[in-house]
Amino acid sequence: MAKTYDYLFKLLLIGDSGVGKTSILFRFSEDAFNISFISTIGIDFKIRTIDLDGKKVKLQIWDTAGQERFRTITTAYYRGSMGIMLVYDVTNEKSFENIKNWIRNIEENASADVEKMILGNKCDLEAKRQVSKERGEQLAVEYQIKFIETSAKDSLNVESAFYTLARDIKAKMEKKQEASNPAGARSGAHQIRANEQQRKPTSWLSRCSLL
Amino acid sequence: MSLQKSVKSAGGDRSEQGDTTSICSSVTTQPDRHGFFGGAQYSPEPKRTVSPSTILKREQKWLRMLNNWEAFMSKNYKKVRERCIPASVRPKAWLYLCGGQLLLEKHPNEYEELLQAPGDPKCMEDIRKDLHRQFPYHEMFIREEGLGQQELFSVLKAYSVLNPKVGYFQAQAPVAAFLLMHMPAVLQRDGDILHALLRRTAPAVHRHLVKHKVEPVLYATEWFLCALTRTLPWDSLLRVWDCFLCEGVKVLFKAALVILAGALGPAKVRKRACGLCETLEVLRHPPEGILGEDYLMYHMQRLNLTEEDFEFEHQRQTARRRAMPNRSGS
Repeated sequence: MAKTYDYLFKLLLIGDSGVGKTSILFRFSEDAFNISFISTIGIDFKIRTIDLDGKKVKLQIWDTAGQERFRTITTAYYRGSMGIMLVYDVTNEKSFENIKNWIRNIEENASADVEKMILGNKCDLEAKRQVSKERGEQLAVEYQIKFIETSAKDSLNVESAFYTLARDIKAKMEKKQEASNPAGARSGAHQIRANEQQRKPTSWLSRCSLL
Repeated sequence: MSLQKSVKSAGGDRSEQGDTTSICSSVTTQPDRHGFFGGAQYSPEPKRTVSPSTILKREQKWLRMLNNWEAFMSKNYKKVRERCIPASVRPKAWLYLCGGQLLLEKHPNEYEELLQAPGDPKCMEDIRKDLHRQFPYHEMFIREEGLGQQELFSVLKAYSVLNPKVGYFQAQAPVAAFLLMHMPAVLQRDGDILHALLRRTAPAVHRHLVKHKVEPVLYATEWFLCALTRTLPWDSLLRVWDCFLCEGVKVLFKAALVILAGALGPAKVRKRACGLCETLEVLRHPPEGILGEDYLMYHMQRLNLTEEDFEFEHQRQTARRRAMPNRSGS
């Protein structure tokens, strides 16, 4: 069967219960919003293929249950992820404070070089806001993670959040490939060399891109 | 019934909230016979009819049984599973089957007392966050602060106060507080048992799942934790729960095995589902036919799995889990 994409990235959405992980994913994959969502039990996923600088990138995005009880199940899926979205709800102080715990969770369970991003969701609900944008930015600086405020409901920044994360993963991946194959990177045959590199899976990263 | 009131105003509330957002599945103003206005479990077609006299006969039989419950259950409880419980008797029958009647007689005021207690604030907050996220298209739950959501809150709160160690677990909500308290480690073992049984009942499907690394936690978590309430059409669900309350959790395993074999049984489906995500997609939306009441009940029977088979796998998988210190979960 012909491959319909150049890269496959596995992404993960984590964060407290009710912050809008499923809504963010639904906005990104179906470009729609549904007020009547059911709570996620266990783990779910959606797929969308995007075009990134002329490359077809297939995003396989895993959505997890937020409640702590599910953590034994969900952390098992941190390992294979190349990018993780940490989501909090700007109208819920507690969900913001918990981002630190979620980061610790990533450090314990995910690959060391996983790309991360913090999303402050529900920024359309200005009247109910409990966490200022500045505090979000501050936290992001502290952990050196990119940050953006989103609204799945108003379709604000959801698209660009996923594109940013995907672009960062792609850049990191290509840098790795160049590092392990410096001659190819400088010559005009870069593209072909890069493909050859992909064919023999040396690291888990290149193995993923093969799929 | 007091529920009727919330139905009438439901349509108005929805459009008020819905004007700035797109509602994805179609929502009607007329609920189906189970009270759904839309969503995956909405089934507008009328059920095939059973003659009124047959229904009447069944009802009388059940009422007789319920009046002599002790004697009946000790003598021939197996008969319970062979008969579909008539809708009108079902609430009472389920109360007896799950032992609720007995407890109710023993502690007549306990429920009210539990509701008076303050409750753990973290638990109460978690419950509130989930009240509208269970059956959003059902007439009982469609209205915020409506009766259905209030009652759900009460049941979940009462349980969390009664059993503070378990407290509130998100999977309780879809089936309210009455539920098998599976914790993740147990769940993983249940997944192993399911796969081991599948290997016997549908080897080709089992091979396919192993090949594509489709682990049970990925598709069976919701099936088991919500006791199929989010998976089956309502008629099938009621029927499966009739059995579930009689025979216990192995009914859920049997239903899961039938769904797996039904969905991935055809070789051409397996060929098309040539990866982890593709396979999960098939299992997330199994063909409607195999979720139907008759198909499901018939094939669950035909699996021919005995009490001993379950016991054997249970022992074996428990021992196997115990031998893997790093993966034992909790």
